[in-house]
Amino acid sequence: MTRTPRTLVVVGHGMTGHRLVEHLRAHDRHGAWRAVVLAEEPRPAYNRVALSSYLEGRSAADLTLADRAFLTDPLVELRTAAPVTGIDRRARTVTTADGTVTRYDALVLATGSRPFVPPVPGRDLPGCFVYRTFDDLDALREAAREGLPGVVVGGGLLGLEAANALRLLGVRPHVVELAPRLMPVQLDDGGARVLTRLVTGLGLRVHCGTAVREIHPAADGRVGGVTLTDGTALDARLVVFSAGVRPRDELAGPAGLATGGRGGFLVDDLCRTEDPHIWAVGECAAVRGRTYGLVAPGYRMAELVADRLLDRPTAPFADPDTAAKLKLLGVDVASFGDAHAETEGALEYVLRDDTAGTYAKLVLDPEGRVLRGGVLAGDATAYRTLRALTGRELTAPPDLLLSAPGPGGPPPPPRAADAA
Amino acid sequence: MTATHHVLVVGHGPAAHRLVERLRAHGHRGPVTVLGAEPRPAYNRVLLTSVLDGTLTAGDLELPAPPDGVRVRSGVTATAVDRARRLVRTDSGETFRYDRLVLATGARPRIPRLTGVRTADGRLTEGVTTLRTADDAERLADGPVVVLGGGVLGTETTLALLRAGRDVTLVHPGPHPMHDRLDDTAGALLASRLRSAGARLRTGRAAVEYRPGKLVLDDGEVLRADALALCTGVEPETALARRAGLAVRTGIVVDRHLRTTDPRVHALGDCAESGGEVPGHVGTAWEQAESLARILAGHDTHHRAGRPALRLRAPGLDLACLGPPDPPGATRRITLSDPARGRHAALALDGDRVAGAVLIGLPRAAAALAQLYARDLPVPSDRFALLLGAAAGATPARVELPDAAVLCHCNHVTKADLLRAWRAGARDLTGIAAATRATTGCGGCADDVRRVLASATGGNSAP
Repeated sequence: MTRTPRTLVVVGHGMTGHRLVEHLRAHDRHGAWRAVVLAEEPRPAYNRVALSSYLEGRSAADLTLADRAFLTDPLVELRTAAPVTGIDRRARTVTTADGTVTRYDALVLATGSRPFVPPVPGRDLPGCFVYRTFDDLDALREAAREGLPGVVVGGGLLGLEAANALRLLGVRPHVVELAPRLMPVQLDDGGARVLTRLVTGLGLRVHCGTAVREIHPAADGRVGGVTLTDGTALDARLVVFSAGVRPRDELAGPAGLATGGRGGFLVDDLCRTEDPHIWAVGECAAVRGRTYGLVAPGYRMAELVADRLLDRPTAPFADPDTAAKLKLLGVDVASFGDAHAETEGALEYVLRDDTAGTYAKLVLDPEGRVLRGGVLAGDATAYRTLRALTGRELTAPPDLLLSAPGPGGPPPPPRAADAA
Repeated sequence: MTATHHVLVVGHGPAAHRLVERLRAHGHRGPVTVLGAEPRPAYNRVLLTSVLDGTLTAGDLELPAPPDGVRVRSGVTATAVDRARRLVRTDSGETFRYDRLVLATGARPRIPRLTGVRTADGRLTEGVTTLRTADDAERLADGPVVVLGGGVLGTETTLALLRAGRDVTLVHPGPHPMHDRLDDTAGALLASRLRSAGARLRTGRAAVEYRPGKLVLDDGEVLRADALALCTGVEPETALARRAGLAVRTGIVVDRHLRTTDPRVHALGDCAESGGEVPGHVGTAWEQAESLARILAGHDTHHRAGRPALRLRAPGLDLACLGPPDPPGATRRITLSDPARGRHAALALDGDRVAGAVLIGLPRAAAALAQLYARDLPVPSDRFALLLGAAAGATPARVELPDAAVLCHCNHVTKADLLRAWRAGARDLTGIAAATRATTGCGGCADDVRRVLASATGGNSAP
């Protein structure tokens, strides 16, 4: 005998919303749930982490996450271009922009985040862009011309990807970062010094420790130039804001849901809001008040919630992996774990090779046995090995680990033994 | 040169003392005479700070008596060298003949140009003292002390006086004590050690005037200074050599046989300038004494400058410096920071040789590196263990991940998950992706997955 499935409504079809539904469907053997996914964008979920590759020739179809099985699953209903405008918690319904009302048994908010655009004069001028969606990239590609001057606001991971995208479009951009170094969240001074040298070699012009004061229009009404707080004046026909993101939590207030101190739907370490029927995952979720802007923690949350809905055993969300590697041709920079040695009693071990132009830092426990994190710049070959070892006892001396090629050791020897 | 010449040594500090001891050991049989200006036998100047902190008396520092047959005249100052007649005149009116003369006149403290530090007749004002001799150490006035100059001597003096329960302020013109030897991290660590030992630090400050009981700084601050200890460097004592017409630049110029411009006159220790350097370092003086003893005993040899380590040791502080602070030719730099335990190492390598190092709180590493540095030997590959002072090979040398290690982070796939999928028949990336989702996120783990597949396949297909 089959029961009528309960309805899960997922608000947002980004990477985490999609993962949640996929995970749910993969493990829901008895068809206990039917998922209704309400997407704001006019297309199904895509791999936003790889968005920059869209400018390098990969198509939107290459990056889509929704395969045929997903799109034809009878227990999944995907509605695109259907932004949610309100939640009625008492009636347990959501309303979309076209007025459709959908009832839920469980509601998962996976609304993601929006680019943060600092409140500087001129930020709305034509020629100002953000860097988050296919539409953003299409608009940027449309406006970019070989040789146009450009400015990227933000020297973090995403800002550098945006700057590289501009470079691929023929623009030689300036990068403006408020912090005293590039990728301030992930890197220390030594790593950032190597990074600055590498991206400068790619043609980027780096301005750290300063911010945009004003964006000026040219005679044609579009962006013409940028003034920095240190007084520097830069020519600019394109400005890309990539100065961090803010959680999309605007549904919280009208629905009477609490938000974290820095925004985001406030949830416990099982990703549940104070309403037992409502959950939040990904960049819009403030897990015990803290938001995460990376896909790996988002996936953890998504799987955790799907497992809860299916009454599968789950561990609370803890110690998220916040490792990050910059994906630019010829620029090898990565950071993992406790990169800033903030944990109690941490040791720092740094190798700098000025001839090779490399920098590597390992953060270890007080005994020097357990790897807690690190920074790699100029050569991130050891990144994946070290990231996988984070939180574990070292399997080899740090000097050897830093020079090793990857997990599993050197490439396996040819199978001569078999032939013999 | 024969082993029966009369060797006359002017000066009786640690360099002279070591020289006469080694002369006999290397077979010199002739008479040896030593003229010491201080009224006491030779003593170990390096331990003077132990007199300051009260653990030793000046008498305890005395060095062993010289070998038999060595005539020592204490309290006798050489006033002139008559090179033509090969004799030395002294303030006692005596003259001493020599076949070989050794100038071991040492160095004297540099007195800063500071208003009020000297009296009208040129002597130090009451309350002001240098710290070069045992008398100096015993002369230091009671009450709050200001140590002027935060080099090695100033730092050691500060720590010693604090141990003796004195109230100490250290005034140093650089950004942190020993700033010409220590980088910012090590310097900050040293400064915090001094502070936690109870010192007040005034760095980036110069003194402008001394008044009895008070020292005025360039920012107007007035420090109470019943005693003012001048640790503002030393100058080679070269007056005698200069008057004798020997070549003098900063120090008395010597060649690789530690010979001055007169082949019968040698110089060593803090007064000698060798290869353009005046090391002012007891380790160098001892090495020179060894070489000169061989030369004077008739061995066919010359002095090769060694590479001694600078060590600063005080209870709770162990600091070592090897080589110059920013060594030329260094290509690789390794640092170990352990702020929680106050340990720090900065190692500069030229290839696999030590070009320079600064170590704080790591005595075993300091000892090991000093050996490697002195003999220019390669540094072992496990530098981390070396710096931590652990035995090499304490950690197993396998670059292999445990099964629980996560390889695909986007999808949280472990090595064990991959191996399970492999056992279930997945033999390529597509198969693995279908079974585990690994590689379907950012794709960055594809190489690792391939490697695990290859090693699983390789490891299991053996007959």
